Amino acid sequence: MNRESFVPPTSQTSSGAAAAGRAFQPVQAITYLCASCAAPNTLNRSDPVRCKECGHRVLYKQRTRRMVQFEAR
Amino acid sequence: MAIEKGNARPDASFNELLQPVYHGKKITDAVNTAEDKWLLLPAFLKIKGLVKQHLDSFNYFVNVDLKKIVRANERVVSDVDPEFYLKYLDIRVGMPQRKDQNSLSTEITPHECRLRDLTYAAPIFVDVEYTRGKKIVIHKGLEIGRMPIMLRSERCVLAGKSETEMAKLMECPLDPGGYFIVNGTEKVILVQEQLSKNRIIVEADEKKGIFQASVTSSTHERKSKTYILTKHGKIYLKHNSITEDIPIVLVLKACGIQSDFEILQLVAGADSRYQEVFAINIEECAKLNVFTQQQALEYLGTKVKTSRRPMSPRLSALQEGLEALATTVIAHITVHNLDFREKAIYMAIMTRRVLMAMVNPHLVDDRDYVGNKRLELAGQLLSLLFEDLFKKFNNDFKTSIDKVLKKPNRTNEFDALLNITIHSNNITMGMNRAISTGNWSLKRFKMERAGVTHVLSRLSYISALGMMTRISSQFEKTRKVSGPRSLQPSQFGMRRYIVDFRRASNANDEVCPSDTPEGEACGLVKNLALMTHITTDDEEEPIKKLIYVLGAEDISVISGHELHAPGSYGIFLNGTVLGITRTPVKFVTRFRNLRRKGRVSAFISFYINHHHKAVHIATDGGRICRPLIIVDKQKSLVTAKYIQALKEGRMQFDDFLRKGLVEYLDVNEENDCNIAIYEHEIASTTTHLEIEPFTILGAVAGLIPYPHHNQSPRNTYQCAMGKQAIGAIAYNQLQRIDTLLYLMVYPQQPMVKTRTIELIQYDKLPAGQNATVAVMSYSGYDIEDALVLNKASIDRGFGRCQVLRKNTTTLKRYSNQTHDRLDGVKRDQDGNPIFKHAILEQDGLPGVGEQVSTGMVYVNKQVPNNAGDNLLGAQGGPAPSADDYKDSPVIYKSPEPSYIDKVLLTSSESEQPLIKVLLRQTRRPELGDKFSSRHGQKGVCGVIVQQEDMPFSDSGVCPDIIMNPHGFPSRMTVGKMIELISGKAGVLDGSLQYGTAFGGSKLTDMAKILVDKGYSYSGKDMLTSGITGECLQAYIFFGPIYYQKLKHMVLDKMHARARGPRAVLTRQPTEGRSRDGGLRLGEMERDCLIAYGASQLLLERLMISSDAFEVDVCGQCGLMGYNGWCTTCQSAKNVYKLTIPYAAKLLFQELLSMNVAPRLKLGDAF
Repeated sequence: MNRESFVPPTSQTSSGAAAAGRAFQPVQAITYLCASCAAPNTLNRSDPVRCKECGHRVLYKQRTRRMVQFEAR
Repeated sequence: MAIEKGNARPDASFNELLQPVYHGKKITDAVNTAEDKWLLLPAFLKIKGLVKQHLDSFNYFVNVDLKKIVRANERVVSDVDPEFYLKYLDIRVGMPQRKDQNSLSTEITPHECRLRDLTYAAPIFVDVEYTRGKKIVIHKGLEIGRMPIMLRSERCVLAGKSETEMAKLMECPLDPGGYFIVNGTEKVILVQEQLSKNRIIVEADEKKGIFQASVTSSTHERKSKTYILTKHGKIYLKHNSITEDIPIVLVLKACGIQSDFEILQLVAGADSRYQEVFAINIEECAKLNVFTQQQALEYLGTKVKTSRRPMSPRLSALQEGLEALATTVIAHITVHNLDFREKAIYMAIMTRRVLMAMVNPHLVDDRDYVGNKRLELAGQLLSLLFEDLFKKFNNDFKTSIDKVLKKPNRTNEFDALLNITIHSNNITMGMNRAISTGNWSLKRFKMERAGVTHVLSRLSYISALGMMTRISSQFEKTRKVSGPRSLQPSQFGMRRYIVDFRRASNANDEVCPSDTPEGEACGLVKNLALMTHITTDDEEEPIKKLIYVLGAEDISVISGHELHAPGSYGIFLNGTVLGITRTPVKFVTRFRNLRRKGRVSAFISFYINHHHKAVHIATDGGRICRPLIIVDKQKSLVTAKYIQALKEGRMQFDDFLRKGLVEYLDVNEENDCNIAIYEHEIASTTTHLEIEPFTILGAVAGLIPYPHHNQSPRNTYQCAMGKQAIGAIAYNQLQRIDTLLYLMVYPQQPMVKTRTIELIQYDKLPAGQNATVAVMSYSGYDIEDALVLNKASIDRGFGRCQVLRKNTTTLKRYSNQTHDRLDGVKRDQDGNPIFKHAILEQDGLPGVGEQVSTGMVYVNKQVPNNAGDNLLGAQGGPAPSADDYKDSPVIYKSPEPSYIDKVLLTSSESEQPLIKVLLRQTRRPELGDKFSSRHGQKGVCGVIVQQEDMPFSDSGVCPDIIMNPHGFPSRMTVGKMIELISGKAGVLDGSLQYGTAFGGSKLTDMAKILVDKGYSYSGKDMLTSGITGECLQAYIFFGPIYYQKLKHMVLDKMHARARGPRAVLTRQPTEGRSRDGGLRLGEMERDCLIAYGASQLLLERLMISSDAFEVDVCGQCGLMGYNGWCTTCQSAKNVYKLTIPYAAKLLFQELLSMNVAPRLKLGDAF
């Protein structure tokens, strides 16, 4: 196995998920943006943290798709 | 040749200063030199920069010192195979590289190192020549380790980059550099202040009647200290390696000066006063029956502490004496062919200095005098470290090849290179460890220094800058003497600090009040002034030759009579006498002319000491010096013509140096000069002209407008507070992920600037806002420096700041093939995420932009249960199931919610995944937040008032801040008042005004503007009360003052507890806010309660609400039992229950464990 691998969780294995009778969630791969070339990357279990386009080692998580409400004060 | 080459890199940030029109000054404007000579300052900073001393020192280390170290240790030979050798031909440091082999480019940027927790380091390459079998092989470019690289030094990728290129590298062009990045943290090696090496220092203890001359010898091989001191009126030599004090005449005899007359001549000359005092020493030696060199050496040899290595042969007393005298006494003077003459003369001069002090006790040196000190910089410290590591590296290498060469039959030819690379990690790790921990421990010099490096403070731009110019003193803090702490007149313009006002008696008023901490480190931590330069070592040899060329008589052909003859001056090069001259002034003038012509290095200093009748020439590193304009025939050499050329960009600072218009003077040479501060003060004796008086201040004190109008401690307070102000930190501030970052949302440049502000570009990264201030009393919530804030101003963004906090999580890998992992989201029956996991996404990390409040998980980490086990068989075993992991999530704890600003995924040097989450809070000022103006006037927000209730002027202007006038009388911060008037004039005029020290916009001009715009010249306005609608009874001092928001905010400090965690050992409530601790009722509070007699309250506070514990005490034996049973008496008869503090029970048990039986005597309870 690749030693540099980053391991995203498999949400299916999380404990008690099945027992809780969880509804099926469509699994979307999370994309991360490369800090150098801004290319979107998806990381798998065995992938090292590395941009597939330029080889840069720093990735940022993309902004959430969920709605965020701010309190303007 | 010797002038340091100014790298004329196109530095975009200085372009403005050199534009055709600069602050209303066009090229075509008539130039008045008296006004415009300050333009030399930006020119100086353009080539030197603010932290040039660090960069110069590091560059010198990498380019010169490194090669010297390797040359000194160039051969490695084997004890086993005489044929084998390895020789280092060259050493060089490459550009910073990443270690990762499969990356596309090897270049690494500092920014990436910060983000990834890497070390910004470059490989060290050597060229070696060695034997392989019978052949001699040359190998080039062998990497022997990695050297951390100072940012912006020659080896840094940022060197010579323009502003746009810097932006591409995500680096701030205003960042000064001069620090290192080790494991992702920015580390500064502070400038260290020390007593000069290889110089004679004469001191007196008048109470004991002891006079001593000491010299700390320091060469690459050894360090030692030699004393020549008086004991009962006789003079002795004292040294660590000699068991007892040796009479000085005996030592001189051992050096081969056998005739008593010659000794007397060398030491005392023809002066009968000195001869008289010295005569007794000759007798002393004769009493010991020592008359010849042989006898003297034998006597000396018996007193030497011998530390022979085991196997080496025993030396005779004569040999011991010879070796001690040649190598350990005054070690920096090397002896060739057993010719001790030079050393003898050196000791004779030391003795003479002692004699002089005996005759005239005023002729002692001041060890606090800046000329007697040297500053040690990053380069010197690193070179010590590298030398140590390199020697260790060679040693390791030697032992490992010896091991191989010892084997008689080798299967294949031995290649030494295979062995050398194994040890390369030692150099890398050694360097990294020293810089990251700050512990410099070098066995060879018995040097053990902690706290050499510090984390670069990024609280504000100013704090980072202030750290780069800081000097820390090597003196112990505990010493009560005020000498090293107080202000030295010789510090003028070199470094500046104000003595704590309690010690102000020692302050000298020509030195500007400024930057030093209060309290413990007061006066020991200093800061460099704006125009200082710290020298690096220069070659001695060419200067030596020049000395003789310029007519010095060689010391080796001089007798004592001539040396001390009236009118003859000794010539000392770095403290060692080389010759004499009878025309010292002419000699020095000639040398100075050579320096002004650029024939010798600009940083060599020449000065005459008439007390010692000596001409001193210094080429050593670590002296502080500063540039001054040369005055010739009562005329400043820098004239309008040259300033014109400077403005047009035809000349640079180095050209002024080369043309001999400006020169560097160190502290000693300044003593020889007469420096005029202003051009009109030039008199016939004047030799130099100050470039600009405000340069006696440094970067931090330079922020204060009109500091010359303030009481001096106020300026010191501002220097401390300016570093805590929240503002812009760097252009890349939003790219950085720091542990803690405070940013102001709408920073403004100050209305009243100073030249220093422009030079250090504080106006581009400001930390504060121009608040309209009414100086009046309002509401009673403004007592004790509290401020009244306008609510509408806060709504508009006054004092609003952001706090960015980092959390780092590593997913560790364990030896048994298991590793940490991230888990997904837990959901309830309806399929919605549980509250704790509300912001997590399926990767176990939070969504960027989500709000995170108390109790929520934002990194859902799990660690394997069996991480500790060493499961060798796990390789083929079943995949770890969910039960094998336990949750170890990162939970958000603060009461106030934050937002997820950034989530960064990367891998560290050890290739473990690294997750950094940046949390953001936006804070508006609230009650209790701390603010300060730039005059050491701090205050907390006492009340926030609706704008409707605020007073307003007839033009409808409402103040942002109301300040109580009681802040002024005792503080005497007149500068603040002038700032207000200048600021108000600037606002009305649409201009920025200057509050530069010893200059700035004149008050009368400002009053003129105010009057022209229809305001009172005094800055006072008629205000109407917002509450009653009536005019206020008095005119109110009203206008803009630059206010800083300080990092101390209520939100970070508020704390209360009813019940909570207890410490395990004592069962008392924990301590501190971070542990949700209790509030301590301390000894003094306890004393009050005792005195008052509130026994029940005491009992409740100290026991019942703290660590009450029920014990069973036996009335018989007085010891504690349990369960109603006394184990000592084996009975339950007299056992009673009582409540005592758990800590008391603990004490009894601890005493028992030490064989002390504390017995309780029980009495009746009331």
